[in-house]
Amino acid sequence: MTTVARARQVFERVRPGRSSLYQRLIDANGATRVNVNFALLIAIVLLGLAAPILPLRNPVQPLPLERLQPPSAEHWFGTDTNGMDVFSRTIHAIRTDFTLAISSVVIGIVIGVPLGAISGYYGGRVDDVITRITEVFQGFPQILFAMAVLAAAGNSLVNLILVIAFYNIPVYSKMVRSVVVPLREVEFVQAAQVAGNRPAAIVFRHIIPNALVPVFSQLPLSCAYAVQMIAGLSFIGLGVSIPTPEWGSMIQNGASQIVFGKWWVSVFPGLALFLSVWVLNNVSDIFKSLVIRRA
Amino acid sequence: MIEIGREWGLFLFRRLSYFVVSLVLVSIITFSVTNLLGNPVYLLVGTRYTQEMVDNLTAELGLDKPIPERYLNYVRNLLQGNLGVSRYSFNAVSDEIQARLPATLELSTYALILGVLWAVPAGIIAGIRPHSLFARFADLMARAGVSMPGFWLGLLLIFVFYAEFNLLPAPLGRIPRRIGAPPSVTGWYTIDSLLAGDMEKLSASFQQLLLPALTLALTTSPSILQITRNKMQEVMSSDYVRAARGFGLPSRVINRYAFKNILASVITMIAMTYGYLLSGTVLVEVIFTWPGLGLYAVDAMNHSDYEPIMGVVLLSAGFYLFVYFVADILHALIDPRVRIQA
Repeated sequence: MTTVARARQVFERVRPGRSSLYQRLIDANGATRVNVNFALLIAIVLLGLAAPILPLRNPVQPLPLERLQPPSAEHWFGTDTNGMDVFSRTIHAIRTDFTLAISSVVIGIVIGVPLGAISGYYGGRVDDVITRITEVFQGFPQILFAMAVLAAAGNSLVNLILVIAFYNIPVYSKMVRSVVVPLREVEFVQAAQVAGNRPAAIVFRHIIPNALVPVFSQLPLSCAYAVQMIAGLSFIGLGVSIPTPEWGSMIQNGASQIVFGKWWVSVFPGLALFLSVWVLNNVSDIFKSLVIRRA
Repeated sequence: MIEIGREWGLFLFRRLSYFVVSLVLVSIITFSVTNLLGNPVYLLVGTRYTQEMVDNLTAELGLDKPIPERYLNYVRNLLQGNLGVSRYSFNAVSDEIQARLPATLELSTYALILGVLWAVPAGIIAGIRPHSLFARFADLMARAGVSMPGFWLGLLLIFVFYAEFNLLPAPLGRIPRRIGAPPSVTGWYTIDSLLAGDMEKLSASFQQLLLPALTLALTTSPSILQITRNKMQEVMSSDYVRAARGFGLPSRVINRYAFKNILASVITMIAMTYGYLLSGTVLVEVIFTWPGLGLYAVDAMNHSDYEPIMGVVLLSAGFYLFVYFVADILHALIDPRVRIQA
């Protein structure tokens, strides 16, 4: 073995090359956990994307003669009280729920991240006011408050997205603030200040990028929460309504049937909802292991 | 002695002012939702109205006045306990809330007790032995509970225990009609039946309570479990526990020391869960037709009746802040450092 090769070997052992994100995730969580959860999430998203071109029944076509049919070869998950195919609706609902959830989370991030950065960077009175308001918000009864807002401002999908986005703002502003406050004193920020950068430039170019890892590991968790909110609100008749396929309103459709033993109308969409939220929560946990390790 | 009194005085003053400021913020938010997002006049006149009706009502409600004056009026009403009148039943919202509050309190309290009885011991055991089979099981339960939509879990329980095996009564309220409510003292059916010495009513109300309380316990206890477990694990690997081990203290004693150290965070989490439960029961109340605040708000919403929802929102937000305030004081009782720092 040449000296150079030997030296390289030793060096690699002391300071291994920067491994890929995937490798680091596996190191922190175990291969099975990472692979299973990622595969499930990708499968759910792909199913949702491909729903229109898959050979599924029309999800909004009521079949008056086939109401409340139990699961069969023809209707895998049975039919609901309108005679719509539960399997097709459960798959199509991925589109509805995920689109609404992601939109509300993105709005929450777009507002929450700069808010938290400003609050943390300037400190003082601005910080106090923003922090106090976000804390009060987090103590608000969420479903009830969403009901109140939707009743006052009108029950529409846009308002639904905005209400849920509203709840995401404090989550992100609080998180970004906690990243920014210790950074204020760090040398590269002070260097940027001394170099004469305007505060806005410092916040956006030098500080916010450091908060991106925690923000992105929070994203799946927020989506999970948003999906739960959307389904819960649709369950009580707000937000998405029949015939649009959505898990919460589908569960609502079967809720009155469950005491008669007709379980499939509610159970299958609920299972899809549960599984999606579960996978999103796990993916978020997996990413968070990176944040904790860095700290 | 005087030093401690001053410390407590300052601490309580700070917390109390924090509580009051938060309440004012809550009232500002609810006021803006009613008055700035929507126009209460249109909510009141219904679908068929003339311009004259709108003008009259606007003047009658004082909505032609400037916003700060309207806000002060709003707060004055709130302080007098006036939450408006339901335009569907024409009952005062505060009366209705008073009548329904015990139902929700009873349900959420039993749910909290069930949840704490499971989550705290489970979290402690899982924290002491983080790699055991039990720790994995507790972890799984916590993950499942967080991801489980409560209203769906409730339906599943109804299907299994009522529709399939008929072990429990129909999910229709707090007590079957043929048995009837116990004479009202506290409004809690379990306590009232006990006070009346009526065992039939007692067991009937417990049977009605079991499934909704279990549903809520399973979906809200994971946060308590996780914080207990994480804190316990943290404390068990700390230096002073290692030192205690080195001195040869029996593990029973060490566990007691460790428990004292996690108590503050666990109590805060339990309080937050309780604060959340009062409004978190909404969907579960709908499933079990539990005549509490949540069902009241949802019924009101279905009748486009606005005041009750706002009343319940205010009450829940206030309750949450109050519980949080109490938890802060408990925290300070347990951990003196909090009094000085915060």
